[in-house]
Amino acid sequence: MKNALVPSRTGSWYEATARERISGLLDAGTFHEFLGPTARAVSPHLALFDLPEAFDDGIIVGRGKLQGRAVLVAAQEGRFMGGTFGEVHGAKLVGLLRYARDHHAEATSPRAVLLLLDTGGVRLQEANVGELAVSEIIRALVEARAAGVAVIALVGGRAGAFGGGGILAACCSRVVISEQGRTSVSGPEVIETNMGAEEFDSLDRPLVWRTTGGKTRRLLGGAGAYAADRIESFRAAALALLDGGIPAFDLATLAREQARLAERLEKFGACQDAPEIWQRMRLADAARIADLADEDFNQIAQAQPEANHDAR
Amino acid sequence: MSEWQSQRLARQARLEAGAILAVGGGKLVAAGDATALLEAVLRPGDRVCLEGDNQKQADFLAAALVKADRARLHDLHIVQSGVTLPEHLDLFAKGIATRLDFSYSGPQSGAIARALNSGKIQLGAIHTYLELFARYFIDLTPHAALIAAVSADRAGNLYTGPNTEDTPTIVEATAFKNGIVVAQVNQVVDRVPRVDIPGDRVDFVIAAPKPFFVEPLFTRDPAQITDTQILIAMLALKGIYAEYGVQRLNHGIGFGTAAIELLLPTFGEALGLKGKVATHWALNPHPTLIPAIESGWVQQIHCFGSEVGMDEYLRARPDIFFTGNDGSLRSNRAFCQTAGLYACDMFIGSTLQIDLAGNSSTVTPTRIPGFGGAPNMGSDAHGRRHASAAWLKAGREASDGPAAMTRGRKLVVQLLETFGEGMTPTFVEELASVEFAKKMRLEVVPVMIYGDDVTHVVTEEGIANLLLCRTPAEREQAIRGVAGFTAVGRARDRAQVAKLRARGIIRRPEDLGINPLDANRQLLAARSVKDLVQWSGGLYAPPGKFRNW
Repeated sequence: MKNALVPSRTGSWYEATARERISGLLDAGTFHEFLGPTARAVSPHLALFDLPEAFDDGIIVGRGKLQGRAVLVAAQEGRFMGGTFGEVHGAKLVGLLRYARDHHAEATSPRAVLLLLDTGGVRLQEANVGELAVSEIIRALVEARAAGVAVIALVGGRAGAFGGGGILAACCSRVVISEQGRTSVSGPEVIETNMGAEEFDSLDRPLVWRTTGGKTRRLLGGAGAYAADRIESFRAAALALLDGGIPAFDLATLAREQARLAERLEKFGACQDAPEIWQRMRLADAARIADLADEDFNQIAQAQPEANHDAR
Repeated sequence: MSEWQSQRLARQARLEAGAILAVGGGKLVAAGDATALLEAVLRPGDRVCLEGDNQKQADFLAAALVKADRARLHDLHIVQSGVTLPEHLDLFAKGIATRLDFSYSGPQSGAIARALNSGKIQLGAIHTYLELFARYFIDLTPHAALIAAVSADRAGNLYTGPNTEDTPTIVEATAFKNGIVVAQVNQVVDRVPRVDIPGDRVDFVIAAPKPFFVEPLFTRDPAQITDTQILIAMLALKGIYAEYGVQRLNHGIGFGTAAIELLLPTFGEALGLKGKVATHWALNPHPTLIPAIESGWVQQIHCFGSEVGMDEYLRARPDIFFTGNDGSLRSNRAFCQTAGLYACDMFIGSTLQIDLAGNSSTVTPTRIPGFGGAPNMGSDAHGRRHASAAWLKAGREASDGPAAMTRGRKLVVQLLETFGEGMTPTFVEELASVEFAKKMRLEVVPVMIYGDDVTHVVTEEGIANLLLCRTPAEREQAIRGVAGFTAVGRARDRAQVAKLRARGIIRRPEDLGINPLDANRQLLAARSVKDLVQWSGGLYAPPGKFRNW
């Protein structure tokens, strides 16, 4: 029996490097990098640990065009030190977000920042400066949003968006996530180490995914769009979000978000595992969510009130 | 009473001691009486096979035996292929068992080395599977076999399910030599789906509270295959599979061979090799072979055991796999090992360490994982008498004598990256197992595959064809020539290596028309476990630890 699957499916977001993601995401040839590898802005700390540096410190920042509109982009390289926030890594992102904050008024200014998160959180070797960097990024992100810039997180890499990356995703105007993508603050291993395997078994990968994974985040409204694991799918989802309008970052939006989270806690707070939530939501395929194909899942998610809201 | 009957009388006495615990005079014994049953039917000093291999485990019976009273059961001689559960080591720590003959230790490879060091274990020998099975019938015949099956009926007929593995061999050796056979089963049923072990070979049956453990040992996540492994796989496909026309083969379990499996429908297809190579296999049901099977590359596979999550796929592909009338896979380790030894033209697998003579080993100074089946798969069977094109070509390359009297050779191919985990060089002047053997006072150095059986060494630097070498010095330079930037590689004689390359003994990627920059993950027919599920039409159900959804 022949299988219809094409052997080589090009353009997987999960498989791609940060640079491949950027070049597939933006209009061809439009990307201009700030402080690229030739500038050799490397971590001042890794050498102390006899660890290799990267010339871009694991993050690429710059500007380009998305379907003709000017955007700023930052992409973390999950394969370098788990995409972690070090001092230089963080400073590049802070600079990008401040640029967005300060240069959005002119007609040709970028009005959106795309954050291609792929990170395990703060780089342990740069602990304090890394934590500081995350705080500065959050401040810069919030200031950019307050200035009217849309900040969209795209999550679907190997490292997910954990630690500070999980907080950043939650601060964004919108989040696009794929099935492979995960967002959370404490990662599975961290929870297991602190609370025991009975609390959270990090080796139980279906449990990890149905707790932190893209489908769960989408259904609970943590992500506003679900993309198939293809670069073109992330591109289409980001465009659709920008076209669909970005909620204003004001008191009314924050109050709506507060109300939404309070309601969510009330409805689902007692649930022990994600499938219980799907049952309470009365989803048709509650037991099979993890196995649903992307298109089928998207239909369910789009019809789900909890998953679609203007609060952020 | 004749003294010729002593074993049979002893068996009778053991059966009577055990029968007291059986429910209603039958064969069924309650799970809570498991330890009491073992204390009743075993005797100090017995040779016991506590069924366990690299996959399935009679784990409930192992735990029951550990709980035995040492005053009643001690100095057992454990004779089993796999020592892989903590309970297996506990038997020795408690003194219930003292002697050991085994094949494979896998996850217990560190613990077993420590126990050997501390004198808790008196080691007979480390065997290959076939060797240990052979000794079951000669001088290591078990007095008792404690085995695992999926289900049993009240007469003791057993259904072992897809993971039949060692059970028929163990039972054959025990039941027909006055031994006692105790089976743990997942459930007792009125009628078993098929009879894998006839009931008159089984003395006692215990329904265990939990299904027996099976390790998914042969699942390789395509997401972890590297570009370097893909390059090595391309070299092997073009430089060995294609050139020798290898149709009957066995693959090892590493990522190198997983890469080859996933390149068959892409790179292999482009080379026009479909139907010409890799059609008949002695192989566990590797999930990474699914795309090749679905693309029509594979005609037939016989399996040592099954693989967790593959059962429904196997049931749906009876043209390819051996299945019973009930539809499920029938595996058999002893037969499959024999098939790999005598009916396959090639073994290809990864190794961790290789020396200048081509000897390889997986032993490190603190770990002794044992042998399993690789030495049998990876050796030339001198008893082979039937010819095949691949076998003859290999034999003639190795000989300058008259063609008519030249025997063929099995292709034994070792895949290595020049540097392994933590950038440790895989090419070494002396195997770590040499030092290990000294420390453990072993009579023979543990060698997985002896250099004189190895025909090709493949690294990202190229292929060394050892068949074409005529002297030990040439072999050494051929091996150094593909050892890259390791100390062994840097110590090569450049002029000699250039000569070997001119003679086609060393072939670089460019000599084979392969550009290393083309070796990337886009070539894999599946790049994730989920892709494998899709290829299988949803029939493959991977265990949780291999899912990322």
